[in-house]
This record gives sequence, C-alpha cells and structure tokens, in this order.
Amino acid sequence: MKIDLHEKRIPIIKIGNYLIVSIQVDMHDKLAIQLQSQILDEIEKTGAKGVLIDISVLEMVDSFIGRMLSGMASMASIMDTAVVIVGMQPAVAITLVELGLEMPGVDTALNMENGMEMLEKRLREEDNETFESH
Amino acid sequence: MSEKHNITNIKKRIDRIEDILAAVAAGDLDARINSETEDDLSGIEAAIDLLIDDLTDELKQREKMQKEVEDKLSKIQEQQKTIVQQQEDLLELSSPVSKVWDNVLILPVIGTLDSQRTQIMMENLLEKIVETGCTISILDITGVPTVDTQVANHLLKTVTSARLLGAECIISGISPAIAQTIVHLGIDLSSIKTKATLQDAMIFAMRQNKRTDDIKLQSLYINPNEKEE
Repeated sequence: MKIDLHEKRIPIIKIGNYLIVSIQVDMHDKLAIQLQSQILDEIEKTGAKGVLIDISVLEMVDSFIGRMLSGMASMASIMDTAVVIVGMQPAVAITLVELGLEMPGVDTALNMENGMEMLEKRLREEDNETFESH
Repeated sequence: MSEKHNITNIKKRIDRIEDILAAVAAGDLDARINSETEDDLSGIEAAIDLLIDDLTDELKQREKMQKEVEDKLSKIQEQQKTIVQQQEDLLELSSPVSKVWDNVLILPVIGTLDSQRTQIMMENLLEKIVETGCTISILDITGVPTVDTQVANHLLKTVTSARLLGAECIISGISPAIAQTIVHLGIDLSSIKTKATLQDAMIFAMRQNKRTDDIKLQSLYINPNEKEE
C-alpha cells in the first residue's frame, strides 16, 4: 500500500474473505472520494467477497457522503462483492431519510457481528445457487 | 356691609369647593364639602358631593373587577402549565418500546398520530434498536383510528430509518379503514412488510429469528466439515 504522508488514510483490513473498513474520522468530500477508489482497488487486489463499512462513529452524514456510500455499494456489487454498512446512528438514519437518501439496495446491519453474519449468509446462499445450477 | 360679608362668604365656599375637588383629583376619595347652610350654592355643593360619591363607587367597583380578572388570569395560567406538563407526559407515555423476545421489539401505537408524536416515536424506536441490538421491530397500529398522508409518510420514514440502521420493521394491525385510505391516497406500502395482526407479526418475527439461529447452527456444523475436506 502506498503511504501518503499528506493525506489521512482510512485503514482497510482484510480478514478472510472480507474487508473491514472502520471510519473513525469525520468524512470530508475529498476523503470520501479517495476512500471509494481505495476500497474498490482493494477489492480488486484481494478478491474479497464482502466489505463491511463501520460508520458507528460518524455523527454527521451529509447527502454527498450518503450518495458516496450507496454508490460504492452498487459499484462493489458489479464487482461481485457485497457491501454492508454497519452501525449507523439513529440521528444519521433520520437525516438520510429526510434528505430522501433511502439507500435502496444497500444492506445494513446493527453491528459488526450482525454484518458479518449477513455476509456469511449471503455467501452461503450464492454457493448453494452455483452448486445447484451445476 | 352684609353684602360684602355675603360675597366673602361665597368666595370662601367656592374656595372650599375648589379645595375639595383638588383633593378628590389628587386621590382623596373621602373628602366631602358637607355644607350646612341652605341656599342656591348649597345645591351645587350637594351635587358635587353626590358626584364624588358616584365616582368613589365606580372606582371601587373597577378595582374589584380588576382583581377578579387578575385572579382568573393566574388561574388560567396555572391550568395552562398543567396542560403543557400533561402533554409532555403523554408524549413520553404514549410511545413505549418494549423488548418482547430475543431480538424482537414491539412499539404499540394508540391514539391519533401527529407529526410531533411520530417524530418522538421514531427517535425512541431507533434509540432502542441501537441500545438492545434487536434486528426485528414490530410497529403495531391497531389502536390508531385514522391515517392521513402525513402520518403514512412518517410511518414510511420510520421503517426506512430502521432499515438503514440494519433492523427490519414490520407494521401490524392495519384496519380496513386505514387500508382503504392508504390505497385511496395512493401511498405505496409495498416495500414494507405488513401483517394483519400483532400475532401474525410475532409469528413472522419468531420465524425470522429461527432462520438466523439455524444459520448460526449450520455454520457451527459446516465449518469442521470444510476443514476435513
């Protein structure tokens, strides 16, 4: 991974088939765009089957970040990777809904554990499907 | 001589009238002329006395009325305070969120919904979902008499927000009247899981629970096999 001293980077951790992204700083637009391409690059490099994005620390999500998150989910899904957004705060959820950003098609989970279960379940379902079709 | 005396006498009496009127004007309502002689001037004096009497009565009555009004006002203000307090209490009381089973929350809604109440309800529910980590919540609207566009919109928002948190929200107890209004208003509730009764919703929630439990069990049993392979 390239290290850029001038930019704050959000660490992307690979565990098994999954990537875990924990956003611990306030997101600004530039960082969000950077994170988006960073995650997609990492998906390509590692061949991860699922991405968990933990936003439990984010207290404020504006329309841009919201769109970025839902956009990333659809981009990743084209690359055959499921994205689960984890730990959204109630206030953030209300704000997003008021903004009209209901994020259809994006999976969400209450916490990391639930998110992980969700990904496992989905992977297993996909496995079963491919098994049955063969 | 007697004429001059008369004139000075009259002057004195006029002076007295003036004094008395000045005293009354200054606020001394007990001042009276109380003339003892009987002549042309005494009629005027008596009339002035009468006027002062009337004025005194009037003023007293006004004071009394003012006091009454003030009393009533303070009473009304007190009642207003009680009403506001009770409204706040009612708002808190009217949206209890309770955990009824592993992973299942219930929010029974009773009475008419307005935007303020739905807002508080929604916040309560979301807070509770995060606090308890329950992934299924049931919104029971059996006790809601009518639903309009705004309320339906709020319900939709609640369900969508819960989904964004990662929890599923089921609406139960939609009465025929509400179903009719919702369809007539052209509100699309197809994206929301709705169940006829609270019982059905509970059964659905338990099934959902069981499914996740099955998967947990499966993953426990499948993993060792995979290792063997």
